[in-house]
Amino acid sequence: METTDINLFVRTSEETISDWNRGKIVEALLKETLIDESTADEISREVETIIKKSGIKFITAPLIREIVNAKLIEKGLETARKMHTRLGMPIYDVGNLILHPNKENANVPHGPEATNLTLAERIKKEYALLAVFSQEVSDAHMNGDIHIHDLGFIDRPYCSGQSVEYIKKFGLNFPHTLSMAKPAKHPEVLLAHLIKFSAALQSNFAGAIGWDAVNIFFAPYIVGMSDKEVKQLAQMLVFEFSQQAVARGGQAIFSDINLYWEVPKHFEHTPAIGPGGEYTGKTYGEYEKEAQRFAWMLFEVYKEGDGAGRPFFFPKPIVHITEKFFKTEGHLDFLYHICDVASDKGNTYFVFDRGDTAKISECCRLSFKLEERDLEDAKKPWRMRYCALQNVSINLPRIAYLAKGDDAKLFNLLTERFILAVKAHKEKRNFLEKLLSLGEDGPLALLTMKKDGLPYLRFNIASHLIGMVGLNEMVQVHLGEELHESKRALKFGLKVIAHMKLLAEKMSKQEGMRILLEQTPAESTSYRFARLDLRDFSPFSGRIVKGNIADGKVYYTNSTHLNVSIRLNPIERVTSEGIFHPLIEAGSISHVWLGESHPSKEAIADFVVKTFRYTTNDQIAFSPEFTTCNTCLKTSRGLKTRCEYCGSEDVDGITRITGYFTKISSWNKGKLGELADRFRNENFFSYSKEVANS
Amino acid sequence: MGKVKIFFKSDCPLCGSAIKLKDSLAKEKVQVEFYNIETAEGLAEATFYRVLSVPTVIVEDKMENEIIDWRGKVPSVSEVLNAVKSL
Repeated sequence: METTDINLFVRTSEETISDWNRGKIVEALLKETLIDESTADEISREVETIIKKSGIKFITAPLIREIVNAKLIEKGLETARKMHTRLGMPIYDVGNLILHPNKENANVPHGPEATNLTLAERIKKEYALLAVFSQEVSDAHMNGDIHIHDLGFIDRPYCSGQSVEYIKKFGLNFPHTLSMAKPAKHPEVLLAHLIKFSAALQSNFAGAIGWDAVNIFFAPYIVGMSDKEVKQLAQMLVFEFSQQAVARGGQAIFSDINLYWEVPKHFEHTPAIGPGGEYTGKTYGEYEKEAQRFAWMLFEVYKEGDGAGRPFFFPKPIVHITEKFFKTEGHLDFLYHICDVASDKGNTYFVFDRGDTAKISECCRLSFKLEERDLEDAKKPWRMRYCALQNVSINLPRIAYLAKGDDAKLFNLLTERFILAVKAHKEKRNFLEKLLSLGEDGPLALLTMKKDGLPYLRFNIASHLIGMVGLNEMVQVHLGEELHESKRALKFGLKVIAHMKLLAEKMSKQEGMRILLEQTPAESTSYRFARLDLRDFSPFSGRIVKGNIADGKVYYTNSTHLNVSIRLNPIERVTSEGIFHPLIEAGSISHVWLGESHPSKEAIADFVVKTFRYTTNDQIAFSPEFTTCNTCLKTSRGLKTRCEYCGSEDVDGITRITGYFTKISSWNKGKLGELADRFRNENFFSYSKEVANS
Repeated sequence: MGKVKIFFKSDCPLCGSAIKLKDSLAKEKVQVEFYNIETAEGLAEATFYRVLSVPTVIVEDKMENEIIDWRGKVPSVSEVLNAVKSL
């Protein structure tokens, strides 16, 4: 290539200043696109002319690239333009990002590390939409027909659930690690391994990291420890998880610990692994008392809260309520204990495993029912590793706007969107498969390690999640009634979800991949869909979206939930919402918003038992609200504008956003709209206690 | 008089008897709704009534309150008729 005599300097992306060289344009076009040399040469000459005419003395490489892209468009070379495009952000946006907090995910703090994460996410998101997904899928995401979650983490699977047994058996030995550790001999070391492995997993998954039956698998290490020592261990576990705000992007690890009062049937006869990774000669069934002590102490720690008495945000304690739970000695005391925490701090999640169902929970509400093969794996629990590769949500209200009251059209559109969501899954799956095929030299080396003969990520049993946003508003648009307003509306909502469930089953068979419905947490998606539909379907959508349009705090009701603002007693809400849960295999939840109220542990326990016995609800959580003072560090009940102890206005509100607690100041506008609307069940539990007493 | 809801699936071994029950009840002028749980309509209705096994037969009153049910089995025609006529 010839150089020209143009008197111009180029600021290159390698942080150097070079002389102008037209040949660089040709080189880039030939390397990155499929156009021929003469076209590339012609474009470079035209670009040179433009630059020459401008009289500019310094030019940046990105600007040259943009001028070349403009030329490619001019010549109708759209495919080449896409291949040659540059990903990045305007300087204005970068400045804002560095200065202001990210509101898309309330679990991302504000700081340089978080800014790095957000910047990387932005670029990877663009890359995903341009290079991983087809135009059809990308466009559907961009215009809000569907939402592909965690696009900024395109090169990772979505979430992971596993067993502490893996670490107990194999120690900490990652590919390319600087030092390896043999299986832990002491409980504190096992705990350190657990936290470090969680952080390593956080770097390889987009979302939650769940640990199954943590108290059961810690039990062999607890033998001989005093109550004080067990409490100390519990304290270390909770604090270590909750203070991991030095990990990826300054984000605490979104972590779940599954806990049992009883030793679940599928682990009763499993040989126990103890210190040093050696079998102890006993089964886990024989460690029930140690497991119970640990579970009890964990909840003592949750009850006390952090150094300022605030609830811990992570790890989320998920207690499995099973038939065996009620047959296990001491269950009532434990139930009161965890209900006390639920009322006081809100941490406890109650997961209901009815009949012979066994589950592992992770993420906001994601849980997997264990199948025959999994129960076989339960004999070697380190093999129990589950993951979802991706989560795609469907904008349900939009389908109803388009269907204009026509049933057939509504279900046809729903099918089309579902097929599109599956296409998005196949595209992400192919991309991840490519990354994983690079093995230990690839970006997902950790997930390809084969300590037990199988890759850590068990790709063949991975799930692909399809969620739904705004069923309530879809039914409202289509029938003129919200889910809670009539049996007809509720049944129509059920028909929509049943249609999706049948599609998931059919397409799982057809595509040979596991497709499951999940109640998407949709922390920002319910806001995004509402905003996009306000833009595209006004004025009608203005009467449908929830929240306050005037200040932009709009949202759609999450998943299959009922309108959060209606004055419905919690029994009715949990029962009605629970009707949908058997159809949503990968997990559901109902929230009971407590506001300032502080129900007795007996009232909460009574509610939990009734929910287990008389409803089909999969999971419930109770959400109190708190105000924490940044001046005197005290925490009080309810959301206040000033501290009730010292009067300071430097306070933070804390409550549950979707599936976790966080500071309200980090919430997006849609969630703030929902918070203002939430009907708090402030009198229900005190009333039911009076009734019970009388 | 009450209404009968029968839930079935195409490949279940006992569901043939459920079809016969439907025909017999129809001859007796009993209002019968027949739901295939492999369709969205049928699965939605089955979920609403917490039907976990097929065939299932439910008798309900005019207000759609469940009066009696037979889950995972098929009752005799007379059992259903007695229940329906008692309403």
